[in-house]
Parts: sequence; structure tokens; C-alpha cells
Amino acid sequence: MNVLPLYPHDAFGFPTGLLLGTLIGFAFGFVLERAGFGNAKNLAAQFYLTDTRVLKVMFSAIATACAGLALLSGLGVLDLSLVTVPETFLGPHVVGGLLLGAGFMISAYCPGTGVVAMASGKWDGFWSIVGVMAGSLLFGFLYGPLEGFYKSGAMGSVTISQATGIPFPVLAAGVVAMAIGAFLGAEKLEAIFAPKMGKAVPAANSSLRNRQFATLGTLAALGLVAWVAVPRVRPVAAAKPFARIDPLDLAKEVVSDPQQLWIVDLRDPKAVAPAERIPGTATLPEGTKPAAFAATLPPTRTLVVYAQGDVAALPAGFEAFPGEVLALAGGFDAWKREVLATPQPPADPTPALVAEFRTRSALNGYFTGAAAAPPPKLVVKAVAPSAAPKKGGGC
Amino acid sequence: MQPSAERPYWNPYVAGFVLGLVLLGSFLVMGFGLGSSSVPTRLAIGVAHAIAPAATEANAYFAQYVGPGKKLLEDWLVFEVLGVFLGGLVGAYSAGRLKSEVIRGEGVPKGRRIALAIAGGVLMGFAARLARGCTSGQALTGGAVLSLGSWIFMMCVFAGGYLLAPFLRKEWR
Repeated sequence: MNVLPLYPHDAFGFPTGLLLGTLIGFAFGFVLERAGFGNAKNLAAQFYLTDTRVLKVMFSAIATACAGLALLSGLGVLDLSLVTVPETFLGPHVVGGLLLGAGFMISAYCPGTGVVAMASGKWDGFWSIVGVMAGSLLFGFLYGPLEGFYKSGAMGSVTISQATGIPFPVLAAGVVAMAIGAFLGAEKLEAIFAPKMGKAVPAANSSLRNRQFATLGTLAALGLVAWVAVPRVRPVAAAKPFARIDPLDLAKEVVSDPQQLWIVDLRDPKAVAPAERIPGTATLPEGTKPAAFAATLPPTRTLVVYAQGDVAALPAGFEAFPGEVLALAGGFDAWKREVLATPQPPADPTPALVAEFRTRSALNGYFTGAAAAPPPKLVVKAVAPSAAPKKGGGC
Repeated sequence: MQPSAERPYWNPYVAGFVLGLVLLGSFLVMGFGLGSSSVPTRLAIGVAHAIAPAATEANAYFAQYVGPGKKLLEDWLVFEVLGVFLGGLVGAYSAGRLKSEVIRGEGVPKGRRIALAIAGGVLMGFAARLARGCTSGQALTGGAVLSLGSWIFMMCVFAGGYLLAPFLRKEWR
């Protein structure tokens, strides 16, 4: 069952997220410092190929995280679709990349490493961050004429996997292979270029390096095995099973036994007028997601959920509700059609149709306040009025 | 006490692997990765807003960050970058590298180095807003989730750096 990532699964709230963010950032900053990225010389060396630790650290990190994502998603513990993918804007990414690379070369820091350099007491790092601040404002001042280009080439959150159709674990293995190839090539380049610049060739620790290669290779291979061997747990299948309830049946239940139901509206509460809800729908506390709310309900009643249209799958979090869950078939649209719209008397009245019409009329009257229309006269025989539901009910 | 002798850096392959675990941790816990550049941006907009609130809010780009009901600094990345600073500080201190200095090539005057640091910073600040991220938010984070745009961006960062490198060779002798 996938439980990761935690935050999108409502495992904790925003303030806890900020605290965790500080901790994650602390680890990020500490590792950047230990990698040598608080010193401009180590960063500039990448572009003269005298010491390619920028490539080694960055590409190792990308390969590790990418292969880790592939493995955990292959094992079914991570829902990869809930991991944010930065959106693609072709032109801005090409031009922004070239300019940022140029700025990186000129200042010998990137924004993140500039912060670490500043924290290490390096004044050039501090001033590069001041420059980043000024550059941000410059962008804002020029936003008017730039806006068209800034928004051009928009492709949305698209991964290379989606763009090429190659499965994520296969690409992750490819990234690992490419990284290892790049590292071996970079070491050869260091051996050529470091002496040319009069620098010492960075000390190679081949046992550590090989162990890292083996770890990455194993991660990628396990990711592939998991992808092939573990049956793909579809989010729908993994989610809590639920049955559907027809609008008329729900209407009868609301009339006869409202104390047996929890009704939860899955739509954005801010976007829905109170009149556009099924009577008895729970009012969610401000800022609460329906799934988080459902988890707080005792399982003593049946939970009925509805959206505007049909509910294809329960949002993550509903598995925390231990009781029975029903979804309104056709959603609020069907409710409007079946319950709120004035029922049309049958053109060819038979006892069964008239009975159904009486039911519909009574329910329509209950939910809209309209007087029930008189049933059409039967030609054959009278219809027992017992089909009409009893009003009220409950305690 | 800061150790008197400087500790060596980590082996880059080890540092990269650990950095990858931190990044993976962020994905697993938060559902998104790391970032940096938007925090200097937020700080700069905060400064601009303090000086000229009306003009700042009238700017279509800045209005995404400041205005009625917007909390400029109540943002995950602000706290994350605060962590980066503290982590860098603790890292530098514990390794004996916390020292007030200007890192520069041999024979390069301090003023020249600072001027280049600012100039490069301005370029990066502009570029990071255009590309909606920098080496952290795009290259590292977007790279790990295989975002198409992030990989294009990453390749272009290296291309931009290498294209300019020959002209700045004497800064780093």
C-alpha cells in the first residue's frame, strides 16, 4: 500500500512541514559544505576540468534520488504521481539555463552554494546572493515585455518518461549508467587538464568510487526487478473499495434514516454554494481536506461521498475510515437530475410507473419544498400508496 | 571551539550519494524536492515592498508574492533555505572552515572578485526567475524526477558555463 510521500497523504500539517523543511535544508546545507561547495574555487574548477566534483556530486545525487524513486514506486510504497515535477517551458528553460550557467561561471557560485559560502564566512558568496536578489528584481521590472516569452513553450509537468514512453525505472537505470560513464570520463579529463593549469590531479579513491558505482547499479537493478516482478498496484485498486448508491436510494435514506449516514462533499468547499449541496452534508472545518475529515469520523454510520460527477476513485486518506463507504452514482449532477428536477408523470401509467412517480414526487417535494404533483389517473386499478417513503424517521 | 586544522572534504561520490538521500528524503516526506533561488527573490521583493509598497504590488510579477492576504515569508522554501544556511554554518564551523574571507584566484584583487560575484549573481537571479528555478530547484530536483524542462535547463547551464569559461581563465589561476 502506498503511503509515500507523507505530506500529500495528509500525514502532517503545514507548520510541521515548515519544521521538516528546516531540517531537510539543514542536511542539504551541511552536505553541500562537506562536498566543498562553500568555496568558489571548487565550483570554478568544474569549468576548467581540473576538479569535476560538481559533476560528481550533482550527478550522483540525481542518480541516487532517481533510482530510489523508481525502486520505491516499483515496490508500491510510493505514489510517484504525487511527487511534484517542475513544469517545462522550452524557451525559458534554454535561455534561463544558458544565462544561469554564465552567471554561475562569473560568480563561481550558484544560488544554493552561494548561501552555503555566505554561511562559511565567504564574502564573495554573500555578494553573489545580493546579486541574485538584484537580478530577481530586475526580472520583475522587465516582466512586462518578458511575460510573453516567460510563458512560451509551456508543456506542463512532463517527465522524459511521459515524453518518450520509456518506463521510469528503465530511464532511472539509464541515468545511473550515464552517470557512471560521465564520472569515468571526467576522471580522465581531470588527469589531462589539472596538470595543464598547474594543479594537482584530484586524489582518486577507487575503492570508494567503485562501491558507489555498485550501490547505484544495485539500486537501479532492484528498481527494474521491482518494476517487472511486483504486480502494479493501481491507486484505484489500492484505495478503499466502495459501492455506488443511486440518487433516489440516497434520497430515501436521507429522508428516512439521516442518522445512519455521514455525507461528505468531495468538491472544493469554497467553490460550492450551500444550496448546491445534499441536505445533511457535513460542513468541513476551514482548510480541512475531505479525506482528513473522513478519518476523524467514527465508523458507526455509512460514509457517503459525492463530487460534481461520478467518483472514479476515493481520494487518498479515505482508507483511514474503517466503516462502509458509498459513492453517489453520477455525483451531484445526477442528484439534480433525479431528485431536484420536477419529475415528469408517466405518459403510459401502469401501477409500477405510477408508484415510482409518487416516490419521485414525494422526494422532490421533500428536497425542493415543491408540492407533490397529483399522480396520473390509473386506467386499470388503484395503486397502493405504500411505495411513498415515510417522512422523518430517526430519533 | 572551531577545530584548528581544516577537515578534508568528503569524497565527492560519497557526498553526492548522501545528497541524493537528502533529496530522496524530501521527495518521500514532502512530495517535492529542494530549492534555493526563490528565497533571495522573496527577500528582495520584501525589501522593495518595504520601500515602495504600492509600486511593488502594482508589478504583475511581484504581485504573485506580495499583496493583500499574501504572506511573503511563510513559505516552505524560506524555511528550507534557512536550514541550508544553518547546515552550511555548522558544517563550516565543525570542519574548521568558518572564516571571514574572499575566495579568489591568485593575484585577483578583492574588489574585482566581489564585482564579478555580484555581476554573476545578478545574471543568475534574472535567469532563475526566467527558468523558474536554479541548479537546486531545476537541475537537481527536476533532474531526479526526470522533468523534461529540467534536463534541458541542466544541459544549458553546463553549456553556458563552458562557453564563458575561457574568458575568465585568469580569474582562477
